Amino acid sequence: MNTFLAVIIGALTVYLAYTLYARRIDRHVIQSDPKRATPATLFMDGVDFMPTNRNILFGYHFKSIAAAGPIIGAIVAANLWGWLPAIIWLVLGVSFIGWASDYSGIVISVRNEGNSLSAIAHRLVSPRARTILFVFIFFYLLLVAGAFVGIMATVLESQPRVHLGVIMLTVMGLLLGQMLYRWRTGLVGATLLTVGLTFLAILSGPWTEEIFKGLNAAFNSTTGGAPIVTYFDPTLANFKGAEAKMMPSVLIWAIGVALFCYAGSVLPIWRMAQPVVYVGFWVTAAAMVLGLAGALVAPFAKPEVAQFVIPAFKGWNPQLGPAGIMPLWPMLFVTIACGAISGWHALFGAVGTARQIENEADMLPVGGGSMFCEFLLGLLALLAVSVGAKGAPVGAFATGLGGFISVWGVPLQYATSLAFAAFIVIVLVVTQLLFRVMRVTLSEWLGEAIPPMRNQHVASLVSIALAILLMLTGTWVYLWQLFGGANQLMAALSLVLVTVWLASAGKNWLYAGLPAIFMYVTTIASILVTAYNLYFNVYQVNLAAGRVIPVVGSGLMVLVALLLVAAAAIIGIDGWRAFRRYRRQPISAPRPAAARA
Amino acid sequence: MLESWRLTRVVGRLASLRGSVSQFLYGMMGYEFARHAVEMRHEMEAVFMVVTLGDLIGVPVLPPVYSLRLLPYVVPEIEAWKRHMARRKEFWEKEEYDLHAV
Repeated sequence: MNTFLAVIIGALTVYLAYTLYARRIDRHVIQSDPKRATPATLFMDGVDFMPTNRNILFGYHFKSIAAAGPIIGAIVAANLWGWLPAIIWLVLGVSFIGWASDYSGIVISVRNEGNSLSAIAHRLVSPRARTILFVFIFFYLLLVAGAFVGIMATVLESQPRVHLGVIMLTVMGLLLGQMLYRWRTGLVGATLLTVGLTFLAILSGPWTEEIFKGLNAAFNSTTGGAPIVTYFDPTLANFKGAEAKMMPSVLIWAIGVALFCYAGSVLPIWRMAQPVVYVGFWVTAAAMVLGLAGALVAPFAKPEVAQFVIPAFKGWNPQLGPAGIMPLWPMLFVTIACGAISGWHALFGAVGTARQIENEADMLPVGGGSMFCEFLLGLLALLAVSVGAKGAPVGAFATGLGGFISVWGVPLQYATSLAFAAFIVIVLVVTQLLFRVMRVTLSEWLGEAIPPMRNQHVASLVSIALAILLMLTGTWVYLWQLFGGANQLMAALSLVLVTVWLASAGKNWLYAGLPAIFMYVTTIASILVTAYNLYFNVYQVNLAAGRVIPVVGSGLMVLVALLLVAAAAIIGIDGWRAFRRYRRQPISAPRPAAARA
Repeated sequence: MLESWRLTRVVGRLASLRGSVSQFLYGMMGYEFARHAVEMRHEMEAVFMVVTLGDLIGVPVLPPVYSLRLLPYVVPEIEAWKRHMARRKEFWEKEEYDLHAV
C-alpha cells in the first residue's frame, strides 16, 4: 500500500458517497426545496440569522469543524489496530453515518425555525433531554481538555524545537487582534506580517533547540532529577505497561499551556482567542495542504516517504497493559471520531451554520461537503502515521507528514519542524477554546447552586485544575477514548433526535435511524470497556502502589464514564418512547413551499 | 466560430471556479472576523435602540422629542431589532460556544 492509492480511495469515497447516496437522501427523503424560505431569510436580523453565500458558508463550516480530532484519532487507532481497520472505518463511517449526522443537524434546525438541537429535543423528546445535554457537554469538554493538555505538555517537553514557534504564535495572535480591531489595519497586511513572522519562528525552531533543552534541564534540576509524579502507564513498553515518571519540566509546560488557556478563556474573544486561532489556522492549513498534495505525488517523486511501514492489521484485541482489553469493536469506533462522525459537528451546525443557510439546496454541500473534507483530513493523518518511523505516535505522525512536505523541496528537518508545530498549534488553539466553553457551561450549570462559579476567573481555574488532575493520571489514551465515547454518544443522540423528527414528519427515517442504533450501542459499550480498563489497569495498579493522584484521577474518570452511560440511557428511553408515539401518529405533514421571489 | 464559443465557455467556467474558490477561502479566513465585527456593532446598536426607543419596552430614557428626531435613522432597524430582542435564546448561543474549530 502506498499513499497515492490511499488518496485515490479517499477521493473515490467522497465522490461515490456524495453523488450516489447523500444526494438521493437530500432529494427523496428530505426533499430540499430551493423555493422554500429558510430561517435565515424569514428571521433575518443581520447578526445570527443572515443569508450567506453557499461557498462562504462551506469554508466557514469546514473551518469550524476541522481541528485536532481527526488527526489524533487516526494516530491512536493506527498504532493500536493497524492502518487497515482505521481506513475501513474512516471510509464506511463517513459514507453512511458521518455526512448524515452533519447534514441532518443543519436540516433539522432549518426545518424547525433555526432552533438548536436542545430546544428541538425539549419539544420533541422530553424536557429533561435538554438538561442532560449539559452534562454531556461539560464532561465531553473536560475529557478532551485533559487529553489535550497531557499530549501537549509531553510533546512540548520532548520537542524543544517547537517552543519558539508556539511563543511567537501567542505574541502574533495578540498583535493581530490589536491590529484588526483597534488599529483597523487591513486583513491582508496584518496576515502577511503576523503569519509570516510565525512561520519564520517555526522554521527557526531547530536553531533554538539547544536553548530550550537547557531550560528543561534547569527545570528538572529543581527536584534533583526526581520525578513529581510516578504512575503506571499501560501504553509503555510496547503496550505491555510500565512505570512512568512525570518530570518537573512536563508540569511546567502543562502550567504554561494552562496559563495560555486561562488568558484565552477570560480575555475578550477578539483580543486573543479568535486571532490566535486565525494565525494557527494558517500554520496548520499550510502543513495539511502541502502534506496532502505531497502524499499524492510522493510515490513517484520520493518513494521512500510513501510506503506504509506499520502493519496493516495488529489484531482484534491488542493488549494494553496487564489487565487491559482493547477490542476492535467497539473501541475503534470511538478512537477515530471526528474523521468518520462527530457529535460536535451536528451541535455546531444546528446553532451556527443552519441560521445562515440561504437556500435549502445549500444544506447538503455545506453540511455533507464539510464532513467529507474532514474525512480527508483524517485520512491524511492516517497516511502520515502509517508511513512515519516507529516510535511515539505523535512523533511518527510528524515524521510522516514532514516526509510528505519534503516532497516539495523543503529540507526534511524543517519540514518535520513544521509538521510538529502544526500538530501542537492545532491542539493548543483548540484547547484554549475548550476552556472558554467549559467556563461558560460550568457557570450556567452550577452558578445557581454555587454563586462563585459565576465568576469567570473561578470557573476558568476550576476547569483548568480538573483537566490537569486528569492529565496527571498519565492515561491520555483512555482520556481520549472516553472523550471519543462522549462525542460519539452526542452524535448518536443527535441522530436519535433526527430519527424522531423524521418519524414525526411522516418521512422515511432509516438513513438516520440505523446509524443512530449502531452508534448508540457501540458507544455505550465502548464507554463501559474504557471504565473497565481504567479500573483494572490504572486505578487498582496505582492503588496497590499507593499513588494518590493517579488513583483520584482514574477514579474520577470511571465516575464520569458511568455518568455518561446513565445520561445516555435516559435520553435513549425518552427517544424510543417519542419515536413510537410519532410512528403511530405523525404530528405534521410537510409544509407547502413558501413562494420566493 | 465553434472553437471561440468553446473557449468562451471554458474561460467562463474557470472564472466561476476562481470566484467559488475565493469565496471558500474568504469563508475560512475572513468571514469569522466580519461576523464578529457585525456582532460587536449590533451590541452597540442595541444599546442605542434601547436609549432612543426605550418606550417600546417601557423604559423611556431620552425625552420623546430627541427620539423623534432620531427616528428616521433607526426605522430600518426596528423590525430586525424587535425580532432579535424577542427571540428566546439558548445559553450555548453565546459567542464562547462559537468554537471556530474542534
